Amino acid sequence: MGDITTQRLMFKSPIKWLVINAIAWIIGVLWITPFIGIFMTSIRPFSEVVSGWWTIHPFTVTFENYFEALFNPMFSLYKGLINSLIIAVPSTLIPVFLASLAAYAFARFSLPIKNYLFATILFLMAVPQQMTIIPIFFMLNNMHLLNTYLGLILVHSSWGIPWIIFFLRNYFSLLPVELEEAAKVDGASYRQIYFKIVLPVALPGIVSAAVLQFAWVWNDFFFALMLIFDPDKMVVTQMLPRLKGQYQVDWGLLSAGSVIAMIVPILVYALFNRYYVSGFRGWAMKR
Amino acid sequence: MAVEVVIENLSKVFPPNVKALENVSFKIKPKEFFVILGPSGSGKTTLLRIIAGLEVPTKGRVIIGDRVVVDAEKGIYVEPKDRNIGMVFQNWALYPHMTAYENIAFPLRIKRLPKDEIDRRVKEVAEALGIIDLLNRKPAHMSGGQQQRVALARALAKQPDVLLLDEPFSNLDARIRVTAREFVREIQKKLGITTILVTHDQADAFAVGDRVMVLRNGVIQQIGKPKELYDEPRNLFVANFIGDPPMNIVKVNTSNEIIHRLDITEHIGSVKQLKYLYIGIRPDEAQAITSREGMLKGYVRLIEYAGSRKYAKVEVTPNITLKVLASEDVEEDTTVDIEVKKVHVFNENGERIKTITY
Repeated sequence: MGDITTQRLMFKSPIKWLVINAIAWIIGVLWITPFIGIFMTSIRPFSEVVSGWWTIHPFTVTFENYFEALFNPMFSLYKGLINSLIIAVPSTLIPVFLASLAAYAFARFSLPIKNYLFATILFLMAVPQQMTIIPIFFMLNNMHLLNTYLGLILVHSSWGIPWIIFFLRNYFSLLPVELEEAAKVDGASYRQIYFKIVLPVALPGIVSAAVLQFAWVWNDFFFALMLIFDPDKMVVTQMLPRLKGQYQVDWGLLSAGSVIAMIVPILVYALFNRYYVSGFRGWAMKR
Repeated sequence: MAVEVVIENLSKVFPPNVKALENVSFKIKPKEFFVILGPSGSGKTTLLRIIAGLEVPTKGRVIIGDRVVVDAEKGIYVEPKDRNIGMVFQNWALYPHMTAYENIAFPLRIKRLPKDEIDRRVKEVAEALGIIDLLNRKPAHMSGGQQQRVALARALAKQPDVLLLDEPFSNLDARIRVTAREFVREIQKKLGITTILVTHDQADAFAVGDRVMVLRNGVIQQIGKPKELYDEPRNLFVANFIGDPPMNIVKVNTSNEIIHRLDITEHIGSVKQLKYLYIGIRPDEAQAITSREGMLKGYVRLIEYAGSRKYAKVEVTPNITLKVLASEDVEEDTTVDIEVKKVHVFNENGERIKTITY
């Protein structure tokens, strides 16, 4: 609540207030318009939307597209959703947990080659996916993990760890070190300090990292395309293009599929919105 | 059980070459309230952190009770968690995600005490510190004074051998500060726990300390009871640092008229071998009066009121202006006499030669 009042105070002149609000509205409308378009297309029969989703006469609401997209045996998005969850949940929890430990070490402990190590991680983050896919493919093949959930989970986890380390190291180093010192004096071991003080206090940062990683894994198409080819194991982003149809694009169906695919990351974001926002606020804040 | 704390030849050098502490030795008696007083950068916090175990000395050792907790030469180092100390940080460092109750209980839970024992101790210490009503609140919903009490409760709940306080009053409003000092002092006396407090504020130090140690650039300047530091400051730094309003310190040639007027040669013998001296007169140990019987004469430039007291800035010579107590009838732009009760004389190196009482 305090934030709102301080923000009001920041815009003392009404013109400034007006301009900033106008800009925010324009961005908001630009952002939401395609979403509205997709949604409108998805809830109406094909015959109504061929001339554009903005024609609202006649307007018939139907959920047929959704049923079709979810349960058609040829391209069951329902199965895709389940597969995506099976992949995305561990691919979020594993790297966030591991990277948070590493990030804490980078933020708080002194190691001889710490800075070089950190620089290496940053450097390797710049490597594009396409460059690594062939070695990854052969590696998974040798490990007999090709076309398995576990294989894709491992790839996503290791891909996520570097940036989460980077993100959380910065977040951890913003936390007041006195809390950890107080815990030390209070008799806590390093493990207790980490789990009982650092993690709870850093929760907004951890949740932010997790939400981003989840969205990234969920939206990934490339890795999944390369590493999973059994139709029963395909994730939702792989299922989507199959809705397109062979000779004619069924926009209603495709739109319904898109809405279904994006509803999960949006829900995740909405669920953790509070942490997510304060996580980024904390991250942007200077010490 | 009160213990003593012994600091022996402690030095701390921060890389590359910042000397935070230089060969510091002193002894704190059981149940004593010991204050480390110094300006920022004097090494006082480093010293406290070394005692807590949050920092390791470059040289020397620390003994708490009958146990050596750190010895740089022998490579002994006891972790903070095993030193049985309680500490209150400058910003109190309460765990923000825990209620006051959980904060206070935290060290006890770490020790794995039985639940009812924890509950008993938390309530007991909360009762003593008057924070029973706050136990369910989180730190964000407490005032500074309340947070401080909770931090103190957390430090005391585990019944430590030594209590360490790092600038505990500096984040409090002036008014609460006075009550907080009295409160901490009372609690300390009641529990009889050996306590070390670090501060840059002489008023804090004098309000709570049994003994005060003045530190400057990592070197001990003086250790003594507050009254000793005030009455017999060992050098100019201590003289200047302690006392409010601060002591008038003037540098004078040994041939200066004022030396003669104050009968200084009579009290300290010949000053011929010295080029100049420092003379210190506390504002509260000299008074401007209208009758003609003082040792010094001067012209009142300014009158200042501080509570019930009235001070006059008196120009004694063109180069020397002294701030002294003023009697009721002294007014601005008049000539007055100054009745001097006490003068501290320091040599060229700033060391006190003598304190003369008239």
